[in-house]
Amino acid sequence: MSYLPCGQYFESYLDDQKWWRTPFIKAKMIFMLVVVLALPYLVASEWLSVFYTINYYILAALGVQLLIGYCGQITLGHAAFVAVGGYTSAMMILFIPWPTFMVDSGLVYPISIICAGFTAAMWSVLFGLPSARVKGFYLIMTTMAAQWITVPLVITQYVSQIGGRGQSFSLPPGLIKIGPWTIDDDVKIYYFSAFLVLLCLLAMGNILRSKIGRAWIAIRDNDIAAETMGVNIVVYKLIAFFVAGFFAGIAGAFWISALFFVSPEHYEWFYSLLWVGIILIGGVGSIQGIVFGSAFVVIIFKLLEMGVLGISEFVMTSYPEIGWVTTKIIFFKESAFGLAIIFFLIYEPNGLSYRYWQLKNYFNLWPFSYTGK
Amino acid sequence: MDLFLQLVVTGVMLGSIFALVALGWVLIYKCSGVLNLAMGELTMIGGYVCLGLYQKFVAFMPVNTAFVVALIGTMIIGLILGLLTERIFLRKMIGEPILAVIMVTVGLSFFFKGMVFIIWDTDTQVFLPRIFSIDPIVILGITVGSVYLWSFVAAMVLMVVFVCFFKYTRWGLSMQACADDEMAALSLGVSAKFVYALAWAIAFMAAGVGGTLLGNINGLNYSVSSLGLLVLPVVVFGGLNSVPGAIVGGITIGILQNLTGGYLDFYFPGGIKEIAPFIFMVIFLLFKPYGLWGWERIERV
Repeated sequence: MSYLPCGQYFESYLDDQKWWRTPFIKAKMIFMLVVVLALPYLVASEWLSVFYTINYYILAALGVQLLIGYCGQITLGHAAFVAVGGYTSAMMILFIPWPTFMVDSGLVYPISIICAGFTAAMWSVLFGLPSARVKGFYLIMTTMAAQWITVPLVITQYVSQIGGRGQSFSLPPGLIKIGPWTIDDDVKIYYFSAFLVLLCLLAMGNILRSKIGRAWIAIRDNDIAAETMGVNIVVYKLIAFFVAGFFAGIAGAFWISALFFVSPEHYEWFYSLLWVGIILIGGVGSIQGIVFGSAFVVIIFKLLEMGVLGISEFVMTSYPEIGWVTTKIIFFKESAFGLAIIFFLIYEPNGLSYRYWQLKNYFNLWPFSYTGK
Repeated sequence: MDLFLQLVVTGVMLGSIFALVALGWVLIYKCSGVLNLAMGELTMIGGYVCLGLYQKFVAFMPVNTAFVVALIGTMIIGLILGLLTERIFLRKMIGEPILAVIMVTVGLSFFFKGMVFIIWDTDTQVFLPRIFSIDPIVILGITVGSVYLWSFVAAMVLMVVFVCFFKYTRWGLSMQACADDEMAALSLGVSAKFVYALAWAIAFMAAGVGGTLLGNINGLNYSVSSLGLLVLPVVVFGGLNSVPGAIVGGITIGILQNLTGGYLDFYFPGGIKEIAPFIFMVIFLLFKPYGLWGWERIERV
C-alpha cells in the first residue's frame, strides 16, 4: 500500500509479491513478533486478559472484515457462528468418549477446534445461501435472522439442555490441553491466542492474494461487473461465507479456553454489532484495521471500567445520595459505545487504518512531504 | 376451530400495532432511504415516555382522560425527539454508503436503550391503575381482550389519519413527491431536509403510540423493543417502500405470530413465537426477495 523507498527495484515478480518486501518492513515485522512474544513479561499480569480479549475480538472480527470489507456482504449475525464454534468445541470435549491416549496426548482440543471451524462454516454457508438471490438490506435481514434463530432459539432452548446441565457448559480445569501444555493460566491463554491470531491473519492475507481473494474484491466493487467478467458470484460468495464461518468457529473454540465455560449470553446480538463496529472503527477493507479496531475498543472498555470503578468509589464515599448512578454504569457504557460508533462514522469514516496510512506516508516522504504543512 | 378463529382475530389486532410501527419505518425509508434498525428502541422509548406522563397526570385526572392526554404528550415528545435525531445524527449521513447509515441507526439504538434504562429501570413496569378493563369482550362468540380491541381501534384510527395526511395535505404531498423522485421534487421547491425531518418525526410518533399499546398488553420492559424489531419481517414481507405492504405485512405477521404461539409452542417449547417471523422472513426472501409490493430495483453497470 505505502510507497516504496527510492532506489528500490525488484528484478522478478516473485520479489515484487513477497510479504516482506524491504529490509525495513522485515525488521519491523520481526520487532512486532518479538513484542508479541515478550508481552507477558512487559505488562502487569492483570492486563494480559485485556490482550487475549483483543486477540479474541481480532479472530471474531476477521470473518466480519472478510465478508463486509472484502466481499461486500454485510453481516449482522456473526456472533451466531462464533457461538456454533464455541458450542461444538465444548460439546466435543465434554460428551465424546475419547480414548485415553488421545486425552493424555492433548489431541482432543486441537481436533475440536478444527471441527468447530467446519461446523460453524457449514452453518454460515446455510445462512449465506440467500445471498445468491438477495443483497444489501435483505442480506442484513437474513444474517440477523441467523442470529435470532441460532442463539435464542437453537442454542438456548435445545443445545443448552443436553446433558441436563441447564444453561451453561462448564469445562473442568485440566480438560483443555494442547499437546503437552494444559491451558490453565493467563500467560498460556495469551500465547495460544497470539498463535491463533498470527496463523489466521497470515491465512487471510494469503487468501486475499489468491484467485479467490481477487474474485471477492471484484464482487465487492461491483457484483454485476464481476459476473460479466466471468466470476461465478454465487460460488465465491458462498466460499466467503465458508471462510468467514471457519474463522468465527476458531474464535469461538478459542474463547472457551479462556472462559472455561460457554453460555448463550456471550453470543448476544450486541457482539455481532460490536464486531461490525470494530471493523468500522478500524477501517473497512484492511487487515490492520481489525487489529486497530479491536485494540481500540477493548482498551477503551477497560479504561472506562477502571475509570468508572474509581469514580463510583469516590461517589459512594463522598456523595452517597447520588449513589444510584453507580448501579447504572453499564447503561452509560452502552450509550457511550453507541455514540462512539455514530461519531466515528460521521467524523472519521475511513477508520483508524486510514490515519495509520497517512502517518506512514508522512514519514515515508519525510522531510520532503508535500502534504504536511 | 374456535381456538383458530380466536388466534386469528387476536393476531389481526396485535398485527395492527406492528402495522402502525412499520408505517413509520416505511416512511423513513421511502423519503430518505435510511434503513432504520433502531425501530425497536423507538417503540420502547414511546412506551416509557407515555408511562411517565401517565403516572404524572393520573394523580389529578380521571384515568381515561389522563391516558389520552399522556398519549398526546407522547406524540409531541416523539415529534421533538424525531426532529432532533434527524438533525443531529442522520442529516450528516445523507449520501453515505448503506452500511455506514445502518450502523448509525444501530449506534442510535444502543444510545437510546442505554438512556431509557438510565432514566427508567430495567424492571417490568405496568400502567397502573389499569386503563383497559381486564374482562374480555365477546364479539360473535369470539372472546377478545379489551386491550387488544382498543389497540386495534387506536392503531386503525391513527393509520387512517396518517394516510389522509399523505393524500390530502400539502406536507404529505411533498413527502410523496420526495419519495417518488427526489431530484424532481427539489427542482419544484420541495425542501428535502424538511421532508426527512418530518418522516423521522412521524416515525417517532407512530412508534411511540405502538410502544404504548404494546406496553399496555404485556407491561413495559426490554421485550417491547424486540417486539418493535418485528417491523423488519413486516416490511420485508410487504415490500420496503410500500405503505399498503406495511399494513398487510403487519397484520400477517401478527396472525403468524399468534398461530405459531398457539399451535407450535407445544412441540417447540420456549421462544418459537418470537423467532417464527424471522424464520418466515428468511424463507420468504428466498422466493420473493422484493416483498409483495416492493419496487424491484434494476441495476446497470
